[in-house]
Amino acid sequence: MIQLSNYSGIAPKGDLISLYRLSERLSNKSFLHINSTKSGGGVAEILQRMIPLLNELGINARWEVIGGDERFFDITKKIHNALQGNPERITEDMWQYHYEVNRRNAEKISLDADAVLIHDPQPAPLIEFKKDGIWMWRCHIDVSNPIIYIWRNLKHYIRRYDASIFSVARFARALQIDEFIITPSIDPLSEKNMELTGREINEVIEKFQIPIDKPIILQVSRFDRFKDPVGVIEAYRLVKKYNDCRLILAGSSATDDPEGELVLNEVKEYAADDPDIRILLLPPFSDKDINALQRVATVVLQKSLKEGFGLTVSEAMWKGKPVIGGATGGIPLQIVHGVTGFLVHSVEGAAFRIRQLLNNPEMAKRMGESAREYVRNNFLITRQIRDYLSVWYSIENKGKSVLEL
Amino acid sequence: MEERLTPFHFEQCISILKSTGKKARNLRELRKIISEVSDESIFHHTYQYFLKGHILEYTNDFAHWAGESLEEKALSEHLSNIDPYAFASINDLRNELLRVIDEYLKAFPEPRLAMKGDEFYFNETVTIIFPTNVIANNLAEFLVAIRHIDAGSIYFHFYEARMRLGKEADDFTRWIEDTLGKKELASEIRNIDLFMFSIEGIRNHIAGMVEAEVKKDMGTI
Repeated sequence: MIQLSNYSGIAPKGDLISLYRLSERLSNKSFLHINSTKSGGGVAEILQRMIPLLNELGINARWEVIGGDERFFDITKKIHNALQGNPERITEDMWQYHYEVNRRNAEKISLDADAVLIHDPQPAPLIEFKKDGIWMWRCHIDVSNPIIYIWRNLKHYIRRYDASIFSVARFARALQIDEFIITPSIDPLSEKNMELTGREINEVIEKFQIPIDKPIILQVSRFDRFKDPVGVIEAYRLVKKYNDCRLILAGSSATDDPEGELVLNEVKEYAADDPDIRILLLPPFSDKDINALQRVATVVLQKSLKEGFGLTVSEAMWKGKPVIGGATGGIPLQIVHGVTGFLVHSVEGAAFRIRQLLNNPEMAKRMGESAREYVRNNFLITRQIRDYLSVWYSIENKGKSVLEL
Repeated sequence: MEERLTPFHFEQCISILKSTGKKARNLRELRKIISEVSDESIFHHTYQYFLKGHILEYTNDFAHWAGESLEEKALSEHLSNIDPYAFASINDLRNELLRVIDEYLKAFPEPRLAMKGDEFYFNETVTIIFPTNVIANNLAEFLVAIRHIDAGSIYFHFYEARMRLGKEADDFTRWIEDTLGKKELASEIRNIDLFMFSIEGIRNHIAGMVEAEVKKDMGTI
């Protein structure tokens, strides 16, 4: 089992010291996290790693997942899309069902804790069943430009929390409660990010039968229109006129995303019969495979049109890869344009930057090294745990702008 | 009996970012909000340049926004030239920011509008201070510590102290001067140009100056 001491020499020393100091103040208190999926997506992934580390710090941390049927997840997917700006119709009856499923979950899950962190809109109505403790609502999606009446309906719940947490300052909205900004993180010791031997990488390449005779362009993401997989294929086709290369689109499905299959079929159709495009639908927990694919890629893309944060960017940067990302959501926080990668606004922009990186390996190497250091200092799990505990401690000391430990 | 010197206790701070919910779309709105936003917000957008880890073109967030989002390059140069550590209080700094913006608005009274999503978002920070358990009893121990201490600790003592103490001195030079009585070394360190180096650059400078002093004390040079 991974322990905090394993992060010594990897995470910044200051993050580790502050974690121990904060845990002295919060030890023996309970910390409950609630979300809506056990697997798939960045939230579940980070919680799997974070809960044991919190417990090692002496905090009684637990993680609960709310249950729901197909109708519930259809509704919450629509809410999710609408909060990211996609026009959707959510009827009063659907909102009522959203509440009702949460009410049933509240009967099954113990909500007793000193601090409760509710992740995303699916379990947001649980606040109605708050008993005690500090309740925080954690928003992982880009709500900078939501369909406003749907945001208003959700806000009915959010404003009852003690505080909200957004990934990017631009996502914060007028709520009349404390609003903190905490970027997500990756775990450098997880199977998805740990160092791999050449043999381990080769095993994955052989498993998927991917020839490595040409440079590989990679995008790892769910099959979701906001990730613009079709735009990635278009960019690859523009690059192909000048540079021979292969494209891999790799992603897994999530239990709370019923649209994934539809988008996957669209992407397959668009890729047609190009033998240099590989579309890999990976089962959940394909972490080692993703790790190896990111390490074997020459250039990594995350050409999202909307993005809560885009952890796949930090994952690839941690492996020393220059990433070309859409200038949206949390991606510009990770990519310092021209230093740790490139930010793009169009298919043409993505194609041009791919060509630059393919033709200038020295620049790609330099950017990759800066990218890894940038992730070390800003986007590792130890910093995120530190921030959650700091927010909790800050709410316990509400009104003070300087706190001593 | 030999007099015991007051040791230097290395501390460190972390910042948690909070949104104020306020945003500016153009220069006049920026000016209005700067005049009324909390001290913590002004502090966050001006003093923390050094925490960003690499030398940037602009030395504070207001200058960066003026240059990148409004494309008012001359204004960004004027704002970049403001040294937040030269002011005794945040309010003095706030007034200087307003003065520079007012001057600019006199010459260019029709400010541009930032693109949607590219507005200036006012944030503020909550600072949490904690001891690192690293203590220096003399200059030689200080040298070892400064070489290995976390960058966040250097930020706290070297940059933030100037604002915290309301004077030009940082914690390091105050201890070196007041406790060790080494005025010349303190003055050398104090004169390092803050804006020309990253924290790692400052670390190397201080370590180099302190090492030379330790060698001098030992009679090796």
